[in-house]
Amino acid sequence: MTTLANIPQLLVYGIISGSIISLGGIGVSLTYSILGFSNFAHGDFMALGAYIALGLFTLFTGLGIPNVPFGPLSFGFGFALAFVLAIALTAIAVILIDRLLFRRLRRSGPIILMMSSIGVSLGLRNILQFFWSPQPHYYSQAIQPAVAIGILNVRIKPDEMFIIAIAIALVVLVHAFMRYTKMGKAMRAMADNATLAQVTGINTDRVIIWTWVIGAGLAATAGILAGIENKFITPQLGWQMLLSIFAGVVLGGIGNPYGAILGGMVIGISEEVSTAFISTGYKPAVAFVIMIIMLLVKPTGLLGRKD
Amino acid sequence: MPLLTVKQVTSGYGDMEVLHDVSIEINPQEIVTIIGPNGAGKSTLMKTIFGLLKPKVGQILFTDHEISSLSPDRIVRLGMAYVPQVENVFPSLTVRENLEMGAFIRSDDFSDRVNEMFDLFPVLGRRGRQQVGKMSGGERQMVAMARALMLNPQLILLDEPSAALAPNLAVVIFEQIVAINETGVAILIVEQNAKQSLSLSDRGYVLASGRNRFTDTGESLLANEEIGQLYLGG
Repeated sequence: MTTLANIPQLLVYGIISGSIISLGGIGVSLTYSILGFSNFAHGDFMALGAYIALGLFTLFTGLGIPNVPFGPLSFGFGFALAFVLAIALTAIAVILIDRLLFRRLRRSGPIILMMSSIGVSLGLRNILQFFWSPQPHYYSQAIQPAVAIGILNVRIKPDEMFIIAIAIALVVLVHAFMRYTKMGKAMRAMADNATLAQVTGINTDRVIIWTWVIGAGLAATAGILAGIENKFITPQLGWQMLLSIFAGVVLGGIGNPYGAILGGMVIGISEEVSTAFISTGYKPAVAFVIMIIMLLVKPTGLLGRKD
Repeated sequence: MPLLTVKQVTSGYGDMEVLHDVSIEINPQEIVTIIGPNGAGKSTLMKTIFGLLKPKVGQILFTDHEISSLSPDRIVRLGMAYVPQVENVFPSLTVRENLEMGAFIRSDDFSDRVNEMFDLFPVLGRRGRQQVGKMSGGERQMVAMARALMLNPQLILLDEPSAALAPNLAVVIFEQIVAINETGVAILIVEQNAKQSLSLSDRGYVLASGRNRFTDTGESLLANEEIGQLYLGG
């Protein structure tokens, strides 16, 4: 019975990890639908963001920029500033990678683009390893006590509440952007039919840049949030999460960002709740099994379109 | 002088040449139909005019600009619009959003133009918030034409506008094409079942095997027995 009693707590862990997976999944889904390929470097964009934040934070600490924790959170102004700047810098880095590589291969088809993204993935990971070593780095070594909420003996740390809140806020923002702005509508239009978008006079190159900005920005956020949750980061951080992210994207319906959010949440929760019954070592297998079952039963995913 | 001049254009896909030495002209405010059997190169001609294919030889002039090396998004800015035969709408967007995409390059307020489109296509006006993917073939064709008209083009290219439509719906679409033309827009139509289209055209071209075969007024082409037998189904 002890395992079943743990389930509400595992559910909370699942929501936390699902939030991070979902943020990663939105970018994968947008890249797939608008640029037409599965981006294997997306996990490494997450790690890149996490390390840029680390680098800036170290720099700011050296410059004497204060980092007095915000209330119960484990970080303060210095880290928050590094967080925001890292998002912007990751987006810029990814746009440069696009200009340097993906744009030149745009006409070569999805397989070539996917292969080149594997190259980008390896390259980025090794660059991070070169500068920061494969050893873990810490955003903060302070121990944060979890607080009890509700009646089911569920405990959650203030940082984890922050992670969930940021994920919800960003999902709402992305939704509003896609639904109500001209660029967001153009992104949906291009996902529907890229040739027609061009024929209509939509500046497809600008749409692609925005796709990378949003995808990379969310990836960096997810990477930094993963660092806050795990307390440490390694160059493998994003690559290790990529399977869960792809599983979430496929589960929700590839090419549909809302599906990626839903799918990411389901994968995160399934992975955590499974540990009540099977060894933690099988977490990646859980994501993989869900993805395979979904591909067999309904390849278009939960929210996928039929066509 | 003509609005559009296609001068001895040879074009195709990769190494495969589909059009050989094709020439056509469209004057301002004219309706011109290109007819010809399947595989005659009608759609290829449209794609070449609109910059989706680059001509290997020949010139394409539109309002005095040489456009044969321009990309479609540049050609749109010069005042030409194109409605492909299939996949000519954004299905996951609403009717209104499809029209907004048609005006993407405009940064000013274009709500007046949206309302003009809703006057021209009253069916759409009542369903502005509907997702286009859930609409019928005829309604989609209207969305596609309205989208193409958003930038007030001088010339609009319609690739088989009545294909895959029930005959009564095709009549409606052709009535709307005339209405569009009456607002001063020149129209180039490509049609396989061309009687209806020729009857409302100022002029027509017959293409066969990628070459010019006949050129005349719409009426004369309809009256020509040889063309009737060969290309209009007797």
